[in-house]
Amino acid sequence: MSGVPFSPRRVGLIAQNTLRDAARQKLFHFFLLLALALVVGARWLRDFNFGAPELKFLADCGFGAMALFGAALMITATAQLFCGESESRTVETVLAKPVWRAEFVLGKFLGAIAVAAIFCVTLTVALAAVLWWREGELARDYPEAFAAGRQVSYANLWLAGWLHWLRLVVLGGLVLLVASYARTQLFAVAMGFLVWAICQFQALAHDAYARSSSAAARAVGAGIAVLFPNFQLFTLADGLAAADAPPVLAVVRVTAYALLYAAAGAALAIFSFRRREL
Amino acid sequence: MNSRIIAFVTIVGVQALAGALANRIAAPTWAAQRAREPALELPAGVAAGQGATLAMLGGFRGLAADAAWLELQAAWETRDLAATDTLVRLVPAIDPRPVYFWLNGARIVANDLPAWRIEAEGGYAAVPAARHEEIEREQARLALAQLDRALAFHPHNAELRIERANIELVRLGDTAAAAEDYRRAAEQPGAPYYAARLHAEMLRRLGRRAEALAWLVQIHPALPRDEPAAEAELVLARIRALERELGVPAERSYRPAR
Repeated sequence: MSGVPFSPRRVGLIAQNTLRDAARQKLFHFFLLLALALVVGARWLRDFNFGAPELKFLADCGFGAMALFGAALMITATAQLFCGESESRTVETVLAKPVWRAEFVLGKFLGAIAVAAIFCVTLTVALAAVLWWREGELARDYPEAFAAGRQVSYANLWLAGWLHWLRLVVLGGLVLLVASYARTQLFAVAMGFLVWAICQFQALAHDAYARSSSAAARAVGAGIAVLFPNFQLFTLADGLAAADAPPVLAVVRVTAYALLYAAAGAALAIFSFRRREL
Repeated sequence: MNSRIIAFVTIVGVQALAGALANRIAAPTWAAQRAREPALELPAGVAAGQGATLAMLGGFRGLAADAAWLELQAAWETRDLAATDTLVRLVPAIDPRPVYFWLNGARIVANDLPAWRIEAEGGYAAVPAARHEEIEREQARLALAQLDRALAFHPHNAELRIERANIELVRLGDTAAAAEDYRRAAEQPGAPYYAARLHAEMLRRLGRRAEALAWLVQIHPALPRDEPAAEAELVLARIRALERELGVPAERSYRPAR
């Protein structure tokens, strides 16, 4: 786009529109309700819990739902919101106006991460409510175990929610990069899940290759480690007790790590989309 | 050069650059996180298995382990030897954090599976006593190996050490090994008081009465008088009994602080 300067306002408008589109999608409601059902329903699943302390079990279910359904939501929503515009040709209408391609990509990205933020905040609130309620019940039944006060650190819970959101932001950046050159939504979704799986196993693959005696294998390991983010880093605050809280510096580092990957993903998506024939 | 290749190289290059920088930023945090997750610090094969479970199941690994434990209970009720044996190993492999799985799994391996194996070979009446003993020893060793794996995840857990000692004593008749494990259990934080008493009792049975006396004299001052489980009076009575057996003169006998 030439003639008009880059406008954060237009980026904001596209993001708002993307968020509105996402909120109307059945898929968003489906994943949100499914995850909420699991978080709230964990209260009944606890009857099948044998090993872990009950509150930890409830938290694990909540974080599991946030990670799994959040990833599914982020991949499908980003691909749908971006590729949908290409498939329905509405992107041509938008770009025929004085709108930069970079503004369009950034707007879509911000809209998608706003969807992820709503998802994470809703689930964190639900999880905090379930834990608060159950902790209260346990404190009434076993006062001696709660003599020192509540056991769950709710600040830690919010921190875990923040880190889960950051993971979705990184995933969103990578899916956006794929979607920027993908011709179909299906391809973007399939590649998105593949990227998610690689990121989940990144640390494992890196370790396995690093131990290899072959220089080529070690190079592959190093390549995986720099090209794909390590999603296990974002489980930093999945503990419940205040003593399990990660140091502030560690959270700052993981936040910087996520933002760097997300920024690279978004920048490369812009680069790729600018070269694309519409 | 083809513009597609240039685009591909640019994308890979920029992503690698950003990744290298991001990894440098997060490296200390990842190192600390790995150290906090004992499963990832184990030997390569075990760590890879645990890493894969963590990556695949994430927060759901507890739920998956619970479901597998239910399956194990069903197999145990129907005395399905193969399924029970497999699931006993599978459950803690899915989620090694709860001690409950390790402990009860080891008990099943040491106490139930020998009986089932003997039944499968024709029953107690048909199988010679030497074979009984062989099976029981095999199963006891498997249970001890299971507990050793558990201790790699929970190195300071007294219950696991006590279970190890119980199996060594009851199933293998190895009093010396049991004495050692009761001692190590007693030294763990939050260990039950009876572990220390059992260590002394094992030493007495082994004829090492002077060591038993020294041990009891060492632990007695720390036993709380108002805690029934600590059995301070019982420990003092055993000290007196050992002093009598060893002929300790009155002036050198143990004098508890009042």
